[in-house]
Amino acid sequence: MKLISWLAVGASVLGAAVPPPVRAQGRPLTVTGVRGITFGAVLPGVPRVIPRTDPANSGQLDIRGPNQIQVLLTFILPLTMTGPAGALMPLTFSSADAGYSQSQSIASQVGFDPRQPFTATLSNNGRGSVFVGATASPAANQRAGAYTATITLTVTVLP
Amino acid sequence: MRTASQLSLAVLALVVFSASAAQAQTNNATIQATATVQSPINVVGFQPLAFGNIFPGINKLVDPSDLTNAGRFDVTGQASTAVTLSFTLPAALTGPGAPLPIGAYQAIRADDAAQTTNAFFFGPGASNAATLSGAGALHVWVGATVTPPTNQAAGLYTGTITMTVVY
Repeated sequence: MKLISWLAVGASVLGAAVPPPVRAQGRPLTVTGVRGITFGAVLPGVPRVIPRTDPANSGQLDIRGPNQIQVLLTFILPLTMTGPAGALMPLTFSSADAGYSQSQSIASQVGFDPRQPFTATLSNNGRGSVFVGATASPAANQRAGAYTATITLTVTVLP
Repeated sequence: MRTASQLSLAVLALVVFSASAAQAQTNNATIQATATVQSPINVVGFQPLAFGNIFPGINKLVDPSDLTNAGRFDVTGQASTAVTLSFTLPAALTGPGAPLPIGAYQAIRADDAAQTTNAFFFGPGASNAATLSGAGALHVWVGATVTPPTNQAAGLYTGTITMTVVY
């Protein structure tokens, strides 16, 4: 009995010293890349814009976690795409090139700047989706071939 | 003493749990951005627009269908793709005397160098639509008329014709 009392005190002290474990004890936080940004065929000297609202070609990442929790979304964005023999093609992201949707619908996004951290709230069932657009700007003498780049989204649960 | 030991173990377990929970609060994923760049446009001045010998007071026309004397540009790029041609055309040729007037420009574009496949006349200007052939080729000929006045000084006269091609 005495042991149980001491344990109760210990747990209470820890509870005050660290963030409430309630959120962390819910569904684990997961982030999944659903779809990449697809520029398709681009012509040298002709920029190609993929808006975040493009249902076929915009990028999409899905988030799952504890219900209604606040998360911080942070992108790592490449400046270029890499092609044949190391050829580079400029890739740019504007202030409205990312969008967040609690309902995971591309039609109901809240736009944000992917170059800045953004605070979002997961839905009542612990879901959310991030959509991303970008602009590829091939030079007039851009080397022909396939180009790729990697976009990383880091999601952090806010206390 | 035994009770104290059990309490230490219990606290340790709680600390370990909190640490692992904190680690699980960050996650990330990646997606790819992909593009396929098509063939760039290449334009070559194949042959000059050549009027040859002309005489003061006598106009001379070089028709764009003249495969020998019309100026010719050769274009290569992405097959079966629309392009826009734009021309910078001189109003006069320069030489030892007064500028030699040149104008009434005409052009022909075709898929082949013999003007037999998809050949069209057009007036060269600031913006002319065209389409590269299935092999990604286009040939353009430029003709014009020079109008030397009767007092045109003898000698060699030249000018520069520029054609720009973009997708």
